[in-house]
Amino acid sequence: MLPRSMRVILAALAALSLAALACAPDRRGAGARHAHYFGDVSPPRGQVFRYNNGAEPESWDPGLCSGQPDGRVARALFEGLAVPNPRTLQPEPGMAERWTVSDDGLVYTFRVRSGTTWSDGTPFTAEDFRWSWLRVLRPGSGARYASLLYPIRNAEAFHRGALADEAAVGVAAPDDTTLVVTLESPTPYFVFLTMFYTYCPVPRHVVERYGNRWTRPEHVVSNGAFILAAWRQGDRFEFVRNPRYWDAAHVRLERIVAYSVDDLNTSANLYKAGVIDWTTSGAFPSQFVPYLRAFRDYQHGLYQGTYFYSFNVSEPPLDNVWLRRALSLAVDREAIARDLLKGSRAPWGNLCPTGYPGYVHPPGHRFDPDSARACLARAGYPGGRGVPKLSLLFNTSEDHRRIAEAIQAMWRRELNVEVELSNQEWGSYLQATTALEYQIARRAWIGDYLDPNTFLSCFVTGDGNNRTGWSDAVYDRLVREAARTLDPARRLAILAEAEARLLDQAPIIPIYHYSTNDLVKPYVRGIWPTALDTHPLKHVWIDHDWRMRAAGAAANGAALGEAR
Amino acid sequence: MTAYVVRRVLLMVPTLLAIATLTFFMMRLAPGGPFMAEREIPGPALEQLRRTYGLDRPLHEQYLRFLANAARGDFGPSYRYQGRPVSEIIAEGFVVSAELGGWALLVAVLLGVPIGVIAALRQNTAVDFGVMAAALAGVSVPNFVLGPALVLTLSLGLFWFPPALWEGPASRVLPVLTLATAYVAYVARLTRAGMLEVLRQDFIRTARAKGLPERTVVFKHGLRLGVLPVVSYLGPAAARIIMGSIVVESIFAIPGLGRYLVQGAFNRDYTLVLGVVLFYAAFLMVLNLLVDLAYTRLDPRVELS
Amino acid sequence: MSIGLAPPATVAPDLAASPPRSLWSDAWRRLRRNRAAVLSALFLLWVSGTAALAPWLPGMPDPSVQDLARGAQPPSWSHPFGTDELGRDTFARVVYGGRISLLVGLVATLVSLVIGVAYGAVAGYRGGKTDEVMMRFVDILYSLPYIFLVILLLVFFSRSLVMLFVALGLVQWLTMARIVRGQVLSLKSQNFVEAARALGAGDFAIVFRHIVPNTLGPVIVYTTLTVPAVILQEAFLSFLGLGVQPPDASWGTLVSDGARVLALFPWLVAFPGAMLSLTLLCFNFLGDGLRDALDPQDRRDVN
Repeated sequence: MLPRSMRVILAALAALSLAALACAPDRRGAGARHAHYFGDVSPPRGQVFRYNNGAEPESWDPGLCSGQPDGRVARALFEGLAVPNPRTLQPEPGMAERWTVSDDGLVYTFRVRSGTTWSDGTPFTAEDFRWSWLRVLRPGSGARYASLLYPIRNAEAFHRGALADEAAVGVAAPDDTTLVVTLESPTPYFVFLTMFYTYCPVPRHVVERYGNRWTRPEHVVSNGAFILAAWRQGDRFEFVRNPRYWDAAHVRLERIVAYSVDDLNTSANLYKAGVIDWTTSGAFPSQFVPYLRAFRDYQHGLYQGTYFYSFNVSEPPLDNVWLRRALSLAVDREAIARDLLKGSRAPWGNLCPTGYPGYVHPPGHRFDPDSARACLARAGYPGGRGVPKLSLLFNTSEDHRRIAEAIQAMWRRELNVEVELSNQEWGSYLQATTALEYQIARRAWIGDYLDPNTFLSCFVTGDGNNRTGWSDAVYDRLVREAARTLDPARRLAILAEAEARLLDQAPIIPIYHYSTNDLVKPYVRGIWPTALDTHPLKHVWIDHDWRMRAAGAAANGAALGEAR
Repeated sequence: MTAYVVRRVLLMVPTLLAIATLTFFMMRLAPGGPFMAEREIPGPALEQLRRTYGLDRPLHEQYLRFLANAARGDFGPSYRYQGRPVSEIIAEGFVVSAELGGWALLVAVLLGVPIGVIAALRQNTAVDFGVMAAALAGVSVPNFVLGPALVLTLSLGLFWFPPALWEGPASRVLPVLTLATAYVAYVARLTRAGMLEVLRQDFIRTARAKGLPERTVVFKHGLRLGVLPVVSYLGPAAARIIMGSIVVESIFAIPGLGRYLVQGAFNRDYTLVLGVVLFYAAFLMVLNLLVDLAYTRLDPRVELS
Repeated sequence: MSIGLAPPATVAPDLAASPPRSLWSDAWRRLRRNRAAVLSALFLLWVSGTAALAPWLPGMPDPSVQDLARGAQPPSWSHPFGTDELGRDTFARVVYGGRISLLVGLVATLVSLVIGVAYGAVAGYRGGKTDEVMMRFVDILYSLPYIFLVILLLVFFSRSLVMLFVALGLVQWLTMARIVRGQVLSLKSQNFVEAARALGAGDFAIVFRHIVPNTLGPVIVYTTLTVPAVILQEAFLSFLGLGVQPPDASWGTLVSDGARVLALFPWLVAFPGAMLSLTLLCFNFLGDGLRDALDPQDRRDVN
């Protein structure tokens, strides 16, 4: 017989367990499952939308921040001159009702909406844009995406401190509703640029008063569809509808909760349990994809990004272009995309991704082991003899490691080339790639706007994002020429030529094309897969009658995707 | 007694100083810096950032300024999370980690002590073996396996608890269980060892000889001394557990203090890392002091040196 | 045959004065009676043997052979533990992973042993100011969150296997030093030390040839208990991405990788996890058994 105190303790434990069970959430979740969807499909009460925003943002000051999680918060709160169409990403009127371009493509005139205010009632004028852009360009700003404003005349000179006069920068607000922007050279994608969060206006009166604490929920003032009601670091953001937003009549959501969950598995579990309604792209590992494809709430689309390996061409043996070509031709991208990534990404042999209307890609790298061996011989290493051991660098991640291991095996099998894998944590990896202290490194690039220039401009001589040491006068000339060309078709043709040149010289090995993989609950409307993975949240709403609509659509034979 | 406490508190100062110095210079030795990113920051912006955070000053000047500020409790702004002072981040994270750790320790003691006592009373029998095996299993299964396993079965399978996040009483259960299992084992083992030793002592034999019932002997006289190893273990254990288990916080998306250490090192967030390390060290020393004081209460034979 | 002298009364053996050998055989007898410890020791011998001889064992598949098209398969006749996402045989990966894990455990423990014993012995023997300063240093290091030390070490320098050994060993030596110092403090006033000094032995000889062997009891126990702690720490580092580099894998990396896909491919965590847990369990049982056997009456140090 157990002593009395032991029994007391056991009884207490039993009581605790019962209490815990009693606190268990409503078991309604168990019954609200549906065979076609991944997890719980009972919608939240009211117009509340919950999603996982990813890692904790460094900042959501739109002019200074960078990164997807930061950008999503900034875009919920602030709106620029134009807003993207939620399906096609084409610019639509935002804070600007309309805009015109001069014949030489250098002067844009925006008509800013009149009678709009910030969320605290302060009137909103075109001057807010001018002040915000100059704030980003001020040399002391620390803005990470300041270079996006460089198409504006004198912006770069001003930012680099070569020019001291603010008035010389090509943006002016002659009256409350007019914004005139003068560019350095014709930039056909300029309106796209204005949709980027760096171009969003910020409330001058708040920024000047609170300094770098102006974005906190108790101070921040927005002009976008939502206001920041609450925030807790590493936990969540809470947005509520902004009644003073110019288009508030079309915003149906009352509240948004954006969790800051880092871990991919946790995110998937939260979605399955119905705690969140949307997992943003890249929020689950690629091995899950074939399993999730069976569900109707899985959305898949192309993303403006390329995953590639870059060579450090400034040192032997990789300064040998034939060796680089050989290594690229020996990579079986199809096998990687199909078997390793389970079809969640598309194999890709070009630098620029798809999705640019009118752009014709030059032929890309492909898998051709015989050519690879021929190139290797041409490089002076017939049969792989004499190739020193190369090192392949990547930052710590499951997917990167698996791809690296697969490619390591391919090079060994096809070319007899030995490669040593080096896995470094983020800071060391960045240091190594920036300082050219590597031989082969895993890289990736995501486009900022829908134009090939966002990729091709990186590999110009000396660009900070080049990180390969590659310098080619022909390539530089082509990119610069394209920047000056007015005729859009001609311009794209020149850019394609530039890409062809880059692919021929092979400072990089393209591997796959990024894609978006989202899980969206069937009762969520207004989220479509887009090439830039931007989803203006003002279009989102919860459809409590989704089952009826889904049944109706099925009865009519319409595809479920259209019901959105 | 007061003199002892004062002396211990004063001794904390040079220790903290040494830790601060060691950490400061170790962090600066790491390759890379706080403003590295996959996308290059334009030159002027980078220079300005460095200037704002004082990174362009010579190293010894930065060090001295940091010490002066730290003495006032100001650890500076985080390099990574703009506009947020480190002390604020630590305070917010600590509240959560303290709750998580507190529950875990409570569970560890409530489960571990009885297990250890039972094992000691039935030493070398099947009960001893079985009970210790169960406890040790807790320490042999890494918590990044136990956590997802618990989530898979109890949360997604049976819907008893939410799979993650820190809202509502039900959300406490799984993370606390995951965190506590390792400590249950240590507490059980220490209790067992302590009880075994105590039960062989002379005064226990005296108590038995006096005819006292076994229960009184074990619990009234034995347990008080038998848990001494547990008490002195609780100090560092509490600090470690309250610092937050990085794994548990990551798996369950809990906004605690632990992950700032790791993330800070990866992000080269110098100020945040320094703040967390110093906070941890001070906390640990205070806890050790409290534990030593508690020790003297429990064991009248022990004197404070 | 009696010769008129009274036989000596039986005296209880004075353990401190008897030669070390009977202490060991005593301990050995006690250990043998502890069935858990014996079974654990046998299991560990089997695991280490298999791990050590793995490359030469007939029928052992190559753990690095990939088969991308087949991907992760559940256990079958050809692959008793199934395959991982790259099509590699999990059984082979577990066996080779054991090599790495045990190697890390043993070497790191050895590093901590050497440093800890030397440090603790010197501090304890010297006593006085030297001892106080040395122990103060230990206290300072104790206050640093160890994981931070290890992360920084692995971040600054390469993430090679050697660095891992050193980093993990450097964390564990602190407690070892404390234990040894405590032992040395109590031993140095014993008779046999005086005797050795009288015979003219130098300090170094006294410490390392006479005192340290007598501390072996707790040292052995703590060493046996450090190995599983180190292996677990390596697993934790793998979870953070700082552990063993690819394509090598330890149980830690296998388990942390497998835990991420627990819902889809449970065998990837079940088998390495079971091996890891069993091995750790056995080390713990063995260590506890050794502790019971070697010094059942000694003051226990907090683990």
